[in-house]
Amino acid sequence: MRTFLSLLARNRLALWGGVVLSVVVLLALITPLLPLAEPDVTDTANRFKPPFSEGALLGTDHLGRDLLSRLLWGTRLSLAVGFAAALIAATVGATIGIIAGFYGGRTDNVIMRGVDMLMAFPYILLALAIVAALGPGLLNALIAVAAVNVPFFARNIRGVTVSIAHKEFVDAARLAGMSNARIILFEILPNVLPVIVIAMSTTIGWMILETAGLSFLGLGSQPPQADLGSMLGEARAALITNPHTSIVPGAMILVIVMCINLLGDGVRDALDPRLKSGALSRPMPATAVDRAEVPAAQGDGLLAVQQLQTQFHVKDRVYRAVGGVDLTVEPGQCLGIIGESGSGKSVTALSIMGLVASPPGVITGGAVRFKGEDLIGAPYETLRSLRGDRVAYIFQDPLSTLHPLYTLGDQLIEAVQSHHRVARAEARRRAIELLTSVRIPNAESRVDSYPHELSGGMRQRVGIAMALANDPEVIIADEPTTALDVTVQAQILSLLDDLRRERGLAIIFITHDFGVVAQLCDRVAVMYAGRIVEEGPTKAILTAPAHPYTARLMACVPELGQGRRRLEAITGLPPVVDKLPAGCAFAERCIKTRDACRGGEIALAQSGARAVRCIDPDVALAETVA
Amino acid sequence: MAGYILKRLLSAIPVLLGITVIVFAIMALIPGDPATAILGSFATPENVEKLNRDLGLDKPLVAQYFIWLGNMLQGDFGQSFALNRPVIDELLERFGATLILAGTAFVLCSLFGVMAGVVSAARQYGFADKAITFVVLLGISIPSFFLGMMMILTFAVSLRWFPVSGMWPIYGARDLGALISHLTMPALALAVVATGVIARLSRSAMLEVLRQDFIRTARAKGVPERRVIWRHALRAAMVSIIPVLGIQAGFVLSGAVYVEIVFQWPGVGRMLVDAILKRDILLVQGGVVFVAACYVMFNIAVDVAQSLLDPRIKT
Ligand code: SF4
Repeated sequence: MRTFLSLLARNRLALWGGVVLSVVVLLALITPLLPLAEPDVTDTANRFKPPFSEGALLGTDHLGRDLLSRLLWGTRLSLAVGFAAALIAATVGATIGIIAGFYGGRTDNVIMRGVDMLMAFPYILLALAIVAALGPGLLNALIAVAAVNVPFFARNIRGVTVSIAHKEFVDAARLAGMSNARIILFEILPNVLPVIVIAMSTTIGWMILETAGLSFLGLGSQPPQADLGSMLGEARAALITNPHTSIVPGAMILVIVMCINLLGDGVRDALDPRLKSGALSRPMPATAVDRAEVPAAQGDGLLAVQQLQTQFHVKDRVYRAVGGVDLTVEPGQCLGIIGESGSGKSVTALSIMGLVASPPGVITGGAVRFKGEDLIGAPYETLRSLRGDRVAYIFQDPLSTLHPLYTLGDQLIEAVQSHHRVARAEARRRAIELLTSVRIPNAESRVDSYPHELSGGMRQRVGIAMALANDPEVIIADEPTTALDVTVQAQILSLLDDLRRERGLAIIFITHDFGVVAQLCDRVAVMYAGRIVEEGPTKAILTAPAHPYTARLMACVPELGQGRRRLEAITGLPPVVDKLPAGCAFAERCIKTRDACRGGEIALAQSGARAVRCIDPDVALAETVA
Repeated sequence: MAGYILKRLLSAIPVLLGITVIVFAIMALIPGDPATAILGSFATPENVEKLNRDLGLDKPLVAQYFIWLGNMLQGDFGQSFALNRPVIDELLERFGATLILAGTAFVLCSLFGVMAGVVSAARQYGFADKAITFVVLLGISIPSFFLGMMMILTFAVSLRWFPVSGMWPIYGARDLGALISHLTMPALALAVVATGVIARLSRSAMLEVLRQDFIRTARAKGVPERRVIWRHALRAAMVSIIPVLGIQAGFVLSGAVYVEIVFQWPGVGRMLVDAILKRDILLVQGGVVFVAACYVMFNIAVDVAQSLLDPRIKT
């Protein structure tokens, strides 16, 4: 409750709404005590006095009645009626909803059918029909507005009740021999009450608007009694000659409803946990960059990642997902990046083309050089023209990574047309060609299929075809075979390997599976807690791992083809990357840990083609260099 | 496709029957002798006798319902005693005006609502987002009748851009230009609330979609950002926006009542309010059933549109 209130208070607009609304409600409550003119006493000699005239702060209406007094009394009435309507709708609706949800079966069916029928009506029309039957009058308008809102509550509350009705504490109450009525009152009701309150807070504004509307039409409060709606309705005849008589009540309705909406939004935001974590932000077209200095270019690799640092900023916490990674690939080469989930391997891969979701991702240091040109912080258009053209991605689960509502053809054609001005027919021919090249049977007809019509393996082939669309020089494959079964996995791997040979592609292959690395990669980098702990030729590392972590990683995954395996065999968990320990990040789980390991930064020691970040490697690197 | 449409049409029959039952039940609430109550101030002995004959009001309720339903199926909605003409004639004449007003408002609110939602989501927390969010909040808080009155004051009386009210000029040609100048203000006033609701939902639908993996794929392909937003994301978000459009169509159609009163638009809504005040019950009954039935049909069209847009829906 405390956190809820402080969250609410943090929302400044909601706070203002609450304050203004409280003032209005307070004024309405104390209206009878205020020294106001009688609201219903007519004084035709003083008709239409303008605002700020003597004795009438807001002027007078067409019958010479004091507008301020009528406004406050009208506000009082409108608030009372709106609140009453909300209360009635909530009570009746919740009762119906709870009964339907609790008893289920036939009862539920019949009730919900009825509710659906009511919801098939255009809303205000139903209210009009009810008023037509009962006759005009404020009480009847209130009943009508409440009645048309009942289905809304019934449906909402039923949903919540259904989810509660089968929880253990309800079953326990049943076993204890509690009657249904008692279960509903003491077990169900307290749990659905918050939902009822939220639903009320979001609808009460509507109800005030609707009762005001009916009164405006002359179907609600009858003269001389007036709520805000009927004041507006009566003033309409003099709208052009004396607009202030219309503006005063209309503005009041606007203020009340707006404050209620502001407050209601604030309440909803404070209660919705998804908004708390900021998870509902949308990722920007390219990852945000905030780096102090740019490492100088060195060498002339095709693609070189230098000292890359990527962080996630969530509220006031900083997760160092990638903490200074160096990588290079050359044409025709395949580099594997291996590690557990959370090791930063995917974030490294996505950082290269600025595809890390941002917010919360921020690239805070390093450089990514493609043919010498730094891509980090490059203008969006530069990034875009390289993405999918020179550097292409293949992602993990192609069911969620392909657009569900476009045909394969459309998506392939788009990939081509994003970088080349070619006619659609030409692009389509290319699409079919691509599908054939990744060995999809019946490419001619498949091209018009939707992703959900394909098997997982076929979809991943489409993912690869899409990556090949513009003959890229680098392909970054982020666990492309993880979601697939073993045979399909092997097929996809050999397909990638063929492509590498035939087209001289450079491949960066992200995986957690040493079997895959063994089959495909020339070199491999092992990542742990956002950093590379060992790097070198695949063969050398496979025969003699130097870092204790690499050895353990290999021990859990003996060979290709055992399906999806996690790295359970290593005891303990990787460190949380928002508080990395000083020194070796693996120290908690290593069997050789000693004091020096935690002493401070351990450098990645280079020796020939291999490198390791450990003060006591399992093998001395110098020996293994052939 | 044709099969799907047929299926949806068949499934509408119970809903339509339900609507007639509800309207009939509401009208059965009227206390006292039904004929006299229905006729109200028109309860002359001849009228009472004619009504009893037409509706079988001396028979049991169930029989009355079926007589009423049977008559309606033959296009006979009864006689309006206040207007002294068949209800159906009055309805058909009025419905055109409402359809023009509500239809225009619906197009406006769909267009502006979705656009505002998309821009808002694409510029989340930016200036455009904040501005749109505030305007939208204002829009959903202002009663359409008050907004209409303020528009009359500003744009008709002060600026003289548009005529104050009505659908056609009293003198002069009834051409498209005249219609548009009369239609602009009421259609806008009617569209504002729905625009706000649609904008809010579109914004959250877009935010939801923009976090999906296939958006990242589109960006990884090098698709220009504008296309990512307006094609990839919007297309996927439409799947959850379209049902909202269907619901808002109901609000626009029935909210037309207020706007028709403020702008003296010769539509069904104004007719209904007049009929209620004059206790011309048969006209109310017929009008409500007619408009509700149109709305049900419109919602079928929405479902069909949805199935065209989403290949995953089995047709
Ligand atoms: S540095 Fe120490 S703790 Fe870390 S891996 Fe090497 S031996 Fe183990």
